[in-house]
Amino acid sequence: MLKYALIMLTGTFIASVSQIVLKKAAEKEYPNKLAEYLNPMVMGAYVVFFAASLCSVIGYKEVPLSLGPILEATGYIWVAILGRIFLKESISKKKALGLVVIIIGIIIASAGV
Amino acid sequence: MKEKIKWFVILHIIILVYSLNSICSKTAAQYEFLSPKWIFFYAIVVCILGFYAIAWQQVLKHLPLITTYANKAVTTLWGLVWGFVIFHEGITIQKVIGAAVVILGVYLVVSGDEAGSAAKEDSKEDGNNA
Repeated sequence: MLKYALIMLTGTFIASVSQIVLKKAAEKEYPNKLAEYLNPMVMGAYVVFFAASLCSVIGYKEVPLSLGPILEATGYIWVAILGRIFLKESISKKKALGLVVIIIGIIIASAGV
Repeated sequence: MKEKIKWFVILHIIILVYSLNSICSKTAAQYEFLSPKWIFFYAIVVCILGFYAIAWQQVLKHLPLITTYANKAVTTLWGLVWGFVIFHEGITIQKVIGAAVVILGVYLVVSGDEAGSAAKEDSKEDGNNA
């Protein structure tokens, strides 16, 4: 099951990357509304997001449904790390504590499979 | 107040629909990759994700970000329920505690984010006033 869990976690990472790209794209100025969506960054982000949902489907071949949404909570961790690196977003102490708590929750739930 | 309750209920309906996405993903996974049934269930997954993206934006207009994201963590509980009801997966005490701890963690992350951005706004205002 570990292999499939890793595929699912990779999908969550990929989805987080697409969120960061979308956020970067949202910060840019566009000549019109259509260009806000039909530009390489946004379209690329949605293609990547599509790939992430594929990883999720492949992962569910072995990962129990009861564990899937819990594993997907790793997205909060990736978004925080990627946001810190690429968007220079700060991580408050409370947020950092929350990220650690999420990891603990995932470990506890995984032990119960 | 009534309006808030209405949007809170809508938020949870959207979260419930979003949780169905994992049922379809799990069902698709039972079939051969790119077989007609696999494509059918994966198409539903994509449709649900599309619905969710549009509906979520509407909810964000009416409820605070912290409320929406903290409540979204309920999908972990829906995962336990659907896993048990549809796929006959066992609900262990570790899974329940783990889901509860993840929800607490998500609440801390989101509220920590809100506090961070509020502090940023305050310092911006102080800077403007100076």
